[in-house]
Amino acid sequence: MNEVLQLELIVGVVVTFTLITIFVASAKKGNFDDQKKMMDGMLFDSPDDLRAAAEKEAKQKEMRAKKESTK
Amino acid sequence: MSNVKCTHCQLEFDESVMIKEAPSLHFCCNGCQGVYHLLKEDGLDDFYDKMRNDTIAPPIESGNDSSNFDLESFKQRYIKSTNEGFSRVDLVIEGIHCSACIWLNEKILHQMEGVLEVSINFSNNKAKLIWDEETVKLSSLIEKIRSVGYNAYPYDFNEASQQSVDAKRDYITRVGVAIFGVMNIMMIDVAKYAGYFSGMDTEVLHMIHMVEFLFSSMVLFYSGWVFFKGAYYGLKNKIINMDLLVAGGATITYIYSLTILFGADGKSYFDSVAMIILFVLVGKYLEVLGKKSAMDSMDKMKSQIPLEATIIENGAKKAVMLDQVRVGDILEVRNGEKASVDGKSIVDLATFDESSLSGESLPVEKRQGDSIFSGTINTGMVMRYEATKNYANSTLSTMMNLLEDSLSSKPKIEETTNELSKHFSLTIIILAILSFIGWYFYSGDFEQSLIITISVIVIACPCALALATPIASLVGISWATEKGLLFKEAKFIETFAKADTVVVDKTGTMTTGNLSVKQQSKTLSEENLALLHALLSGSTHPVSQSIKHYLEEKHEEINALNLENIEQVSAQGMVANYASKNERKKLLGGNAKLMQMHNIEVEKSEHTVYHFSIDGVLISSFELEDAIKEDAKELIDYFKHAKIELFMATGDNHEVASRLAKELGIVQFMAEMSPLDKADKIKALKEQGRTVVMVGDGINDTLALSHADIAIAMGSGADVALAMSDVVVQNNSLLGIRDAFVISRRTYKFIKQNLLISLFYNLLTIPLAIAGYVMPLVAALSMSLSSLLVVGNSMRIKQKDSKLKEEK
Repeated sequence: MNEVLQLELIVGVVVTFTLITIFVASAKKGNFDDQKKMMDGMLFDSPDDLRAAAEKEAKQKEMRAKKESTK
Repeated sequence: MSNVKCTHCQLEFDESVMIKEAPSLHFCCNGCQGVYHLLKEDGLDDFYDKMRNDTIAPPIESGNDSSNFDLESFKQRYIKSTNEGFSRVDLVIEGIHCSACIWLNEKILHQMEGVLEVSINFSNNKAKLIWDEETVKLSSLIEKIRSVGYNAYPYDFNEASQQSVDAKRDYITRVGVAIFGVMNIMMIDVAKYAGYFSGMDTEVLHMIHMVEFLFSSMVLFYSGWVFFKGAYYGLKNKIINMDLLVAGGATITYIYSLTILFGADGKSYFDSVAMIILFVLVGKYLEVLGKKSAMDSMDKMKSQIPLEATIIENGAKKAVMLDQVRVGDILEVRNGEKASVDGKSIVDLATFDESSLSGESLPVEKRQGDSIFSGTINTGMVMRYEATKNYANSTLSTMMNLLEDSLSSKPKIEETTNELSKHFSLTIIILAILSFIGWYFYSGDFEQSLIITISVIVIACPCALALATPIASLVGISWATEKGLLFKEAKFIETFAKADTVVVDKTGTMTTGNLSVKQQSKTLSEENLALLHALLSGSTHPVSQSIKHYLEEKHEEINALNLENIEQVSAQGMVANYASKNERKKLLGGNAKLMQMHNIEVEKSEHTVYHFSIDGVLISSFELEDAIKEDAKELIDYFKHAKIELFMATGDNHEVASRLAKELGIVQFMAEMSPLDKADKIKALKEQGRTVVMVGDGINDTLALSHADIAIAMGSGADVALAMSDVVVQNNSLLGIRDAFVISRRTYKFIKQNLLISLFYNLLTIPLAIAGYVMPLVAALSMSLSSLLVVGNSMRIKQKDSKLKEEK
């Protein structure tokens, strides 16, 4: 019985510390600078928005490559 | 007619005034109609789905100055290069109301060729824009933002801005980690406390303690690091501050809990360690947020600084950067432009709007040799003046620097708790050490001496003392919020309660700030009324507009007449001719100076008076005044009753100030006060040992507000005044100030009661602990009980709203 509890607690602690590490990393990166926008973002996850995000990524990649080649 | 919603902004208007394009398309203005079609054409009409039930303001009409964004001086000041070779500018987007606005602005900019990244922050409307300058000009991007009804202006993203962003991120991380830790400890605590009743295996209890130890260590040493740092700097400067108390209290509890973890008998308090840190850290985080919001408003204010100045060199005009203007240079300011440095006028008859400095709405006449202040707007014709100061020493720059200094160096108000805790914690530390020494020499038993010492520390752990102020303040603040009062920080309640002196601004605070006609000397005939109305229609001056509005309200129908040769006489009024079939008339409308110039005699007055004459005969005079706010008298009566000394400070002349003071029953007033004078007066009052509250609403009040112990801004005031204030009266009512006094005084009374309860409790139990009659577990229970008493007492603050009436 105690072994099961021990295992559960260890798993719980590992999971929590993993989540905390992810949270700290994203907070330091600025992901929570604008909490309101982040929360509202959940409402804006239509396929169109996802497509727009993918297009944005592609555009940024292309622009960076172009800039690099002109340097 | 029924109300319908505008298809674009979603605001409701009467159907009769709407532009109807199709059965389902209604627009409140051409701006909304234009933006709607633009979004439709660009395939951005998803915007309306995302708006849901939100409304937005109709499109902002922006000036035609987008080419300024391509100026070299602009680039040097605001545009930075990224490592990848792109350009970066930081903007404030005006007009953002909801997430859909953010979506639209980001989307419309991303659609443009050459834009690499755009990210708008909803909380402060600031945008980071990265683009390729070789592909697209910044002016085109600004025009795009303006085309969809918003406006953008730059701000200087400097080291201080970066520091405030970093500080906010740091606190979010620390608070987040503390929440994670506390939540996990609380979950495990459920099992632990259940075990007290049903019994628990020692091995399981040890495992639980171990997990609690891990989480509380993380909270104490990571989230609570700021307290250790604060305590260290406090000790370095020989100050025992709240940080030392929190860090010390939490560490001692942690060390005691460690002894339990490693075998001692008793109950661990790892949960208390984590909770003490979390609760106090949240308060610190709110403080950081408040400071960041003040920084954001300062950035908005800084964007109002002109980009460059026009100097006259060898008869030719030359645009130069502000810091290149030297004393003695001749500068030219066109209508609507701001003076960039201080100087003296070299022309006669210029008018400047000095409202940004003095708060007074009427334009000020400037003759040759008169001082021109940087930041004021030329409301007359193009004029020239000689620079008497360089930019760094000019009024606008000095004010900015002073405001920045006060923002970063405004002394923290020492809380009563902090004061008491300082002595209290020192005493406890000494008593604990003495107990240990005494018991060790008396019994020779190290373990027993340590247990007693820990009991002394735990029973005296300043939980109740630390709670005494924040809990009472929280109740007081929530009560204040219901009354439309926003206390930016809890500590202001205490200072407010102690305040004995109030300084109020006149315009916009005691008065409405809008001119109204108080008296008309003679009634006008139908023809003369039409002539005056036509003359007034030719001017946009606030006095003309007020009289025009007054006439239109008083008379249902006024005939429309056409005047000839309408001429503005700077700072005096207007001259015009009227020609009908039979006769020609010369009309004059303006102040006493204009009448005297045309040999028309008028009476002197201490009011603002507008005279109207036809062919040299005075037809009628209008006395104008800035109306006193309805509740001003009631507030002044309260101050008298509560023995609070009141001063009124105004930029107006002595006569106007004296008349108003007499009317309101204000004994002490100061006239012709510049923003610096107001700030000096506040400082002088503080030097007399008074606790000063300053009430203001304009940019001109910000300096004085920043020097006051408590700064109150009316909700309709300028952004920067709101940012500088400690308390905001959201409903604009002067009675809000009275309510703020009543609420803070009552709350402070309860704070003092709470402190007494916690101190009395500790004083009763500490001797018992020293005597060895209290075990650590009982000590911890006693500590919790004192906290409960404090919380319970605080709940009484807002027992009934009728208490407010009682206090009045």
